Amino acid sequence: MPNVIACFKWVVDEAYVRSGASGDLDLSSVDYKISDYDKNALEEAAAVRERSGGVVTAVTVGVPEAGKGVKDALSRGPDKAFFIRDPAFRDLEPSQTAAIMAEVIRDRIPFDLILCGEGSSDLYARQVGPRLAEILGIPCLTGVQKITIEGTRLVAERRTEEGVDVAEAALPALVTVLPDINTPRIPGVRDTLMASKKETTVIGKEDLPTLPRETMKTLSMKTASLKRQGVRFTAERDDVAAFVDALVRKGVLE
Amino acid sequence: MDFKLSEEQELIRKNMREFAEKHVDPIAVEIDEESRHPAELFSKLAAGGWMGIPIPVEYGGSGSDYLTHIVAVEELSRSCASTGFTVSIHVGIASMLVLLFGTEDQKKNVLVPMAKGEKLGAFVLTEPGAGTDVMAATTTAVLDGNDYVLNGTKTFTSNGPTGDFYMVFAWTDKAAGRKGMSAFIVPRGTAGLEVGTHFKKMGLRSSQTSEMVFRDCRIPKENILGKEGAGLVMAMTGFDHGRVGIASQSTGIIQAALDESIRYSKERVQFGQPISRNQAISWMIADMATDLQAARFLTYHAAWMKDQGKPFSKEAAMAKLFTSEAAMRHTIKAVQIHGGYGYVKGAKVERLMRDAKITEIYEGTSEAQRMVISGNVLR
Repeated sequence: MPNVIACFKWVVDEAYVRSGASGDLDLSSVDYKISDYDKNALEEAAAVRERSGGVVTAVTVGVPEAGKGVKDALSRGPDKAFFIRDPAFRDLEPSQTAAIMAEVIRDRIPFDLILCGEGSSDLYARQVGPRLAEILGIPCLTGVQKITIEGTRLVAERRTEEGVDVAEAALPALVTVLPDINTPRIPGVRDTLMASKKETTVIGKEDLPTLPRETMKTLSMKTASLKRQGVRFTAERDDVAAFVDALVRKGVLE
Repeated sequence: MDFKLSEEQELIRKNMREFAEKHVDPIAVEIDEESRHPAELFSKLAAGGWMGIPIPVEYGGSGSDYLTHIVAVEELSRSCASTGFTVSIHVGIASMLVLLFGTEDQKKNVLVPMAKGEKLGAFVLTEPGAGTDVMAATTTAVLDGNDYVLNGTKTFTSNGPTGDFYMVFAWTDKAAGRKGMSAFIVPRGTAGLEVGTHFKKMGLRSSQTSEMVFRDCRIPKENILGKEGAGLVMAMTGFDHGRVGIASQSTGIIQAALDESIRYSKERVQFGQPISRNQAISWMIADMATDLQAARFLTYHAAWMKDQGKPFSKEAAMAKLFTSEAAMRHTIKAVQIHGGYGYVKGAKVERLMRDAKITEIYEGTSEAQRMVISGNVLR
């Protein structure tokens, strides 16, 4: 009966991001959500337990307000959660997140399989999974659309640019999942109400060794803007020429 | 003061939004056009625990509160006002009446399957000659041995054609006046009960509405709900709960009108710019957003009063009055913003406008709400 860890990130729901007056990102009235593909990781963890039994633990690193995300995650099937939190854990780099998670998982959570989303909805750096596997010294399978557990081995279908690659690894292993792997559930009312009754272990910065230093600095964040020109062209000969000319001037055609 | 929903309520709202986008939006146009009750959708609502949010777990419900139910009805109505209303009547009136006034046996046999969403409830009060004027009803219930025998005609019964348990109001002692009416639980299929065909309505078309005719309809005397003579109190309790439900339905309609108006006015280009840049349009949207905020606060406050165990008749009437009139006002504006595109079948705003009208009428017209409110403040 495998012990499964599902990692998730509580991210800004992009539907609420607005563009500020000077083209900056206005995050003043955003809501948060579990990163999209992490919902697939949570769902797959529940599916593994459904098929093979075991215990599912959800793990996240974030700011204290991400507690709502822990409830959200627990309403999606896990038996318990580890919430590694600190006000300083905002905008962590993937290397830092992976290091913190590895520290907590190594000593505190028994596991056979770790599931992560392929990448986060906000940054999509796709690094936390592979880095976490590397630190823990376990095999890592990325871009996975199907998993099967056969005893102590894992068979995974990885989608690559060339096609589907079927790979095997000995457990314990880490898998990053694609959205095709399953359809995340919509938690029922009772699932949400019962989530806060499940066991959540809270770990603070003070319980951890010194964090790796940050290596990147965000200088600015701008919105991608789409400006309509409102220029109309007809199918007349002159207009077609004007249309081509306009595209050349915009650099679309050479 | 705290204007925040709990984290659980916020998550439940989000989950209902996702549910509605996935399961309701794709069929909303079709069930409106065909005037069809989407049984398949109601099985999904039942599976998620949405059909009994404020009913305790021991009676098959989700064990939450009325406010949470109201938030869910709002999000559901934002996608389909008919579906939101069917849930509202079932939970807010039929199930709540059994929870508040039913015997332990009734709770076990009637409330449990209703709260689980296996059976649908209806509130059977209105008659051809008696709506808000409950005292003008003519349906009678006469005790004969171990049975009550019901005779009379009810109309505009929501969830009539699809209901399994009917909460029926009838005179047990007309001479006793306000203390002469009683309520009964009549199961679907009882001999002597004829459920009419579904009315074709202007709006709210997938919510099923019919006439109900009782001809020597015998039910065991244990099926009386609450005490004999307590019917009027129960009817008023039903109205209070139901009105908060209509308020949340109306709030969902306003939200949908606003969503559609914002989206369309930013897309629609006339005279070289999106019409949202025209003050004539942007001010309509400003008014919509403002009334939406007011609607939501009035509605949540009324539900909160109920959850606090305080009297909430006045608050329910105010919320119902304001939100329904705002829903009508703003859905008309939303169609105006959409121009010709808003007048075509399949346009969401067209359906919203038709659906909005009934909110000013049922569970007490706007005029009846003003009677309740003025009665309360002039006392």
